[in-house]
Amino acid sequence: MRRRDFIALAAGALAWPIAARAEEISRVHRILWLSTASGADPFLDGFREGLRAQGYVEGRNVVLQSHYAPGDPQGLRAIVRELKAGDVDLVVSSGAATRAMSAVTEIPVLFAQSGDPVALGIVKSLAQPGTNFTGTTFLSLELAGKRVELLKDIFPKLRRLAVLSNNDHPGEPSEWNATRQAALALDIDPLYIPFFGPREFDAALATVAEARADAMLAFPEPVTLVNRTRVAQFAASQRLPSMFGWSEYCDAGGLLSYGANQRATYFLLARYADRILRGEKPAELPVVQPEKFELAVNLKTAKLFGEELDLSSILFRASKVLE
Amino acid sequence: MTLADMGLARSSLPRRIYLRWLRLRRSLCFKYLVTLFVAVVLPLTLGAAGEAWFGYRDQSRHLNEVLQLQSRSAAERIDAFADEISVQLGWAVQFPWTDGSDVRHKIDALRLLQQVPAILSIVLVDQSGTERVSVSRVRLNRTGRGSDMSADPAVRGARAGKVWYGPVRYEHDSEPYMRIATAGNLAAAGVAIADVNLKLIWDVIAAIRIGESGHAIVVDDTGRLIAHPDISLVLRGKAGSEDFLRLKQALNANAATIVTTGIGGKPVVAAAAPVTKLGWTVIALQPAAEAYASLRAGLWRSLVLIVIGALIAVALSYGLAMRMSGPIRELEDGAKRIGSGQFDHRIALASGDELEKLATRFNEMAGELAISKQKSERISRLKRFLAPQVAELVENSDGLLDGRRREVVAVFADLRGFTAFSARAEPEIIIAALREYYEAVGAVITAHEATLIQFAGDGVMILLNAPVACADPAHRAVRLAIDLQAAVQSLAKRWSDKGYAMGFGVGIAMGPATVGTIGYEGRLDYTAVGSAINLASRLCDLAGDAQILIDPVVAEQVSCDVRVTWLGERTIKGYSRAMQVFAVVDGESAQRRPRVSITSRAREVLRLDGANPRAALCGLKSASPESPGVGMHPVGH
Repeated sequence: MRRRDFIALAAGALAWPIAARAEEISRVHRILWLSTASGADPFLDGFREGLRAQGYVEGRNVVLQSHYAPGDPQGLRAIVRELKAGDVDLVVSSGAATRAMSAVTEIPVLFAQSGDPVALGIVKSLAQPGTNFTGTTFLSLELAGKRVELLKDIFPKLRRLAVLSNNDHPGEPSEWNATRQAALALDIDPLYIPFFGPREFDAALATVAEARADAMLAFPEPVTLVNRTRVAQFAASQRLPSMFGWSEYCDAGGLLSYGANQRATYFLLARYADRILRGEKPAELPVVQPEKFELAVNLKTAKLFGEELDLSSILFRASKVLE
Repeated sequence: MTLADMGLARSSLPRRIYLRWLRLRRSLCFKYLVTLFVAVVLPLTLGAAGEAWFGYRDQSRHLNEVLQLQSRSAAERIDAFADEISVQLGWAVQFPWTDGSDVRHKIDALRLLQQVPAILSIVLVDQSGTERVSVSRVRLNRTGRGSDMSADPAVRGARAGKVWYGPVRYEHDSEPYMRIATAGNLAAAGVAIADVNLKLIWDVIAAIRIGESGHAIVVDDTGRLIAHPDISLVLRGKAGSEDFLRLKQALNANAATIVTTGIGGKPVVAAAAPVTKLGWTVIALQPAAEAYASLRAGLWRSLVLIVIGALIAVALSYGLAMRMSGPIRELEDGAKRIGSGQFDHRIALASGDELEKLATRFNEMAGELAISKQKSERISRLKRFLAPQVAELVENSDGLLDGRRREVVAVFADLRGFTAFSARAEPEIIIAALREYYEAVGAVITAHEATLIQFAGDGVMILLNAPVACADPAHRAVRLAIDLQAAVQSLAKRWSDKGYAMGFGVGIAMGPATVGTIGYEGRLDYTAVGSAINLASRLCDLAGDAQILIDPVVAEQVSCDVRVTWLGERTIKGYSRAMQVFAVVDGESAQRRPRVSITSRAREVLRLDGANPRAALCGLKSASPESPGVGMHPVGH
């Protein structure tokens, strides 16, 4: 057995071409970054950081083109229509932008979806996407209820919850549905305050102000993300304990956030980007779900509410506390 | 054109190639090549093979150690991972359930969630098997009496064995999860069941790096991946699980490290260790190409060395063959020239080796051949003058031709009436007659191994006992003379038929004479000087047609065999006193060897002359003393 192994190996050793090394990052890859966020996109930084960690240097072996249509997925459709195979090697999109990409079938698309990509029809299954799409899904649907619960935990007096929701976002109806059910289960009266894109945003805020709600919950999506500081300040000025999906909102002054770490997610996307640029097919790269969720608490904001908040029920669970 | 060349012209390409190959195989270059190749490449190959074999054994041992160690340590860490979770769960089941303890238990459970990132959710069950608290990272938390879980395998398992590990479950057929349940020390504390995200084992597995791309993986009983450094392979579902199952089974059958076909068809070196608590298997593997990279590098190095060796062998053999073939062609050419008779050709070789020695030998041989050729030329020249046997003798025994005194018998012969004939006849006829004459004379001389010293016109001088000694020269001379007479007389008869009357006379004398070569550089003759010679010449002059005159010495010598008649005393020119002259009586034909006896008169004369006892004895033997020409008994009768 050993001898046979040896002979097979010796013969094989001479037969294997030395050039069987992993393909190096040689040519310049073009990555198109599509976002409905505004220019200052915190997730792009995460993605860039991830690319750097994979050995890419912008300008030398990768070019990141970004197209922003702040809070306006329709604006992206025009760009996407122009795209042809070969123009770019990879498209990275998130949220609403992904929906704009669904017409593209030749170019690999990486997405970061809060909703279920199978339900959205861009992948066949999480294990084997089978299309030119792959990426991560944040399980937002499941987390939607959790956010209501956490808000209730910190603010036990919660009875009326204003839910700020952008209609123009994939998976929004189911997200609202999950939120509503959780709220009802927790004996909370949810107030649905929808708006369609950035144009209706101001009006939506005004509606919240008039809703006489106890607290406010905003779905994680581009329009509120872009305007996160405004939303956070608005909530504080209205003395509404606020709950968000991503810690970026907390950084901007939101009270609470619960969700996957977006930067970590984009870091992971960068790893997938590397693999796709090296020739792997998105169809065979499973959609990844985050396994770590962070609960962020902004103590500065919490101070505004004083004794009304039960910080003790939250602090021991928080993974990120902003003081 | 050689046979092979002819074949080349005719035959098909493969045959031509074969013939060329045959020729090549026989060439010196090829033989050198084979020798050097064997001398260079064989040891190198053996060395490489040996090195590779021992290198392979060492590397295999090392790999075995590394892979076993890695797989075992990974298995232990995974065990520890599961242990850790079950121990942590123990915290949630320390206190017995009371009606008001739900909140406290919930906080314990939430703390646990915070403590152990891998746990997705925890369900706490009281002693009756009823769900009391459920906390989750993604679902809403629940407290208070819930569903009855006493039949849940987790509850039953934990109650039976304190700790229970569930099977691996894949959410959305992608993300791996498992349930771990721990029962409290007090039955009243119930059971804590945790849903564990197994993606978190990735940290354990990803930390294992064997070489450059060697890694560890974890598979369950069905071969389905639980952990892999490339998490996407785990999430990909059942795809590839047959490969992993095959790998696992191959490893289960072998205790030690094995080389087998890995994932993607490439050979891998792998070792397995069981995660006993969970029924999983950790497989540490490294691509064989990488594991044996040093070996492969060694093999390549050896191959390069072998190739270099082979090239050197080829170059050397070519060089050597070229160095050899030049001189050999020179030798071949030289031998050919020498063979074709250019004995003055010399092979100029200064290689300093055996070939030069060979060339020297060739040159020496050419010299000797030249000498030998000169000698044979000389012999053939001599043969024109001498009997062939004599010529050989003369050539091969030095000194025979040196001047000396010795007893010789001289025979002189010439044609009678030749002068008149030559004056009358046409030159062609003269030359034709002379040619016939000399042919006849020459044949007889050769037959009797006598030496033709000279011929002038129709006269010949023949010498016996010089330069080559012979037994009984007088007898020989007489028989020669008899044969000469017979031969020439038969010619003369033909000539007379044509109208030329010519006779033939012979004179023989015996006595001491000085023999040797005379003449000058470029023209040397062997000759004899002495009174016997002169006497023979004179006797020839005296002799009439068909007559053989002999002097007393010869007469005495031959008298017992040949019939001799005394002709009386004659005055001979150059001799102060008259000389006894005898004649050979020859009544027989030339072919017969006559048994002659001396006439009584002749015997008398001879006795008077002090004949030797032998002659007397001969006389006694003779049959009839008085009848002339009688007493002769031809042997042939």
